Amino acid sequence: MAALGYAGVRKDYGDVTALRDLELEVGEGELLALVGPSGSGKSTALRLAAGLEDVSAGSISIGGRDVTRLPPAKRNVSMVFESYALFPHLSAAENIGFGLRARGLPRRELSGRVLEAATLTGCERLLERKPHQLSGGERQRVALARALARRPDVFLLDEPLSNLDAQLRVDTRAELKRLHQRLGATMVYVTHDQVEALTLGDRVAVLHEGTLQQLDAPDAVYRRPVNRFVARFIGSPSMNLLATEAEGELLHAGPFDIPRPRGLRARRLEAGIRPEHVELAGDGAGTPARVEVVERAGSETLVYLVADGVELVARASPDVRLTVGATMHVGVAARNVYLFDAETGETLASLE
Amino acid sequence: MRDRETRGLVLMLLPYLFGISVLVALPAIVTFALALYEYDLIRSPRFVGLGNFDELVDDEVFRISVRNSLMFILFAVPLRLAGAVALALLLHRRFRGVGAYRTAGVLPTVVPDVAYALLWLWIFNPLYGPLNLALEALGGPTPRWLTDPRAAQWAVIVMSLFTIGEGFLVALATRQSLPHELYELADLEAAKPWYVFGRVTLPLMAPTLLLLLFRDTIFSFQANFVPALIVTEGGPPPYATTYLPLFVYQNAFEYLRYGYAAAATVSMFLITAAIVYIQYRIVRRWRHAFVV
Ligand SMILES: Nc1ncnc2c1ncn2[C@@H]1O[C@H](COP(=O)(O)OP(=O)(O)OP(=O)(O)O)[C@@H](O)[C@H]1O
Ligand SMILES: [Mg+2]
Repeated sequence: MAALGYAGVRKDYGDVTALRDLELEVGEGELLALVGPSGSGKSTALRLAAGLEDVSAGSISIGGRDVTRLPPAKRNVSMVFESYALFPHLSAAENIGFGLRARGLPRRELSGRVLEAATLTGCERLLERKPHQLSGGERQRVALARALARRPDVFLLDEPLSNLDAQLRVDTRAELKRLHQRLGATMVYVTHDQVEALTLGDRVAVLHEGTLQQLDAPDAVYRRPVNRFVARFIGSPSMNLLATEAEGELLHAGPFDIPRPRGLRARRLEAGIRPEHVELAGDGAGTPARVEVVERAGSETLVYLVADGVELVARASPDVRLTVGATMHVGVAARNVYLFDAETGETLASLE
Repeated sequence: MRDRETRGLVLMLLPYLFGISVLVALPAIVTFALALYEYDLIRSPRFVGLGNFDELVDDEVFRISVRNSLMFILFAVPLRLAGAVALALLLHRRFRGVGAYRTAGVLPTVVPDVAYALLWLWIFNPLYGPLNLALEALGGPTPRWLTDPRAAQWAVIVMSLFTIGEGFLVALATRQSLPHELYELADLEAAKPWYVFGRVTLPLMAPTLLLLLFRDTIFSFQANFVPALIVTEGGPPPYATTYLPLFVYQNAFEYLRYGYAAAATVSMFLITAAIVYIQYRIVRRWRHAFVV
């Protein structure tokens, strides 16, 4: 039985279709990462689950129960908003206990539950403070504690880390993951950051323009993207995309020549190569390429090259010595090339 | 550069400064001074020191007007504030025709005072006025609004309850500026409407409402002048609706006792200041609950 299920869900705002034909089931205790670019319908999907918006078509179930027509209060879900939605005039403790008090929990039990939730997220020493006396990360903990305190069936998290700085984000992400493992709670985690989605999610759902593109394990989304969009969206920097020309048994893709798979002869193809699969060598067999830009980022180096008039990004080890303007030789192993239908964008083969 | 900026600012402030000094500050100073004189426009002013105030303390009519004014404020201010907030909460959402309702809420406030008063004269007419016709149809009491002392006092309060346009607009703007997510969260947490009102809406609107409270208290001392003059004429006898502004008016322009009227005005000012100060002290005690 799915903890949260979308069946043929569609949402229109006037002429805009924010979400179409969403089929999605989140398992009991699963952390599903919902990822997509801005405006892809992620928040809409969450808000529909919470009941803050009405579906235009389809149905939503929670714990096997159809909740499509139920108001938010009856769905037993908790939501953490991007802005946290903390009450500015209430202390952290009062914020955390808001839902419990609203539901009439006796005061004796209230403080225990508040403290328990606060301890889980590590904000038990901040309980007396008002939100304006808290840092962004601390607010985030309080907001999370408020969601936990209620012990809902499903947690809905809408980009809860997006206001944090990079370091805090990584730390909090790890904490959230641990928390999820410890509680075994069902969570839907919305983010536009693909790294966050891959590291946090048990499974990752990729949305694009209101349509679910792929629902898979993080590893599978990365290694076996179903289409060009997913392939380019997941992974940073984005996969290199090259137009191809067939010639006999070979496929010319920019500077690369790759064997032409049988059975795909009729279609126009595009080749995709991840930056880490572009092989760089000082000399040797590959095509010569001119180094345009070198970005050093500690553990890795990104190299922007032009080969045969085509721009490429490659990821190199920081040990490689590179100078702008120098000529390198680029190559790729055939098994690391993805082929997409140029019209539909569908992945036709990964030669893996 | 700085000098030019300052000069520009002074230049732009000038008309306002001129207006406020000629129309507000100067008359105020003159009033304070005049309170110490006997003056009837004909003979030259005669200095009497605090004599006017001594007389006020013993003046039965003055004491009644002070009491009437205080009673008026006691009922009118909270009711006006509650009305403004209620209207704002009813009309802050978007729905069909909301603009028309909002306009209707503000309209009575922008009708000229005298026209407004004349309208109520008709509404309150005990025999053919629409208010009593409606009350009669509903089987309610049909008070003789303008001739029964109690009813007349209520009539003046009732009249004041519809001129809450400014309070309504301020409350409306405040409510609309509250973050939407807070209410969505309250929705998700199954908070009942009254709980949300008491724990979210009211505290978050409180700073604005307190300002409105102070302002309305000051305003209300003066607000009942036109109704008392036109609708009830200070009566029913002897002085059921003689409020401080009417008392001042009668002494100045009917009995030509300008010094005495000025002393009453100064008293009114002091009473207003005292009430606002007391309110402020009470509010300060409760502030920690509100301040964000
Ligand atoms: N209330 C609304 N009225 C009209 N259109 C809306 C409304 N809410 C969302 N939309 C539209 O629906 C689409 C999806 O919006 P949604 O907020 O779900 O995107 P998102 O994936 O959460 O984006 P972001 O990452 O920027 O938060 C967008 O095109 C948006 O403009
Ligand atoms: Mg969003």
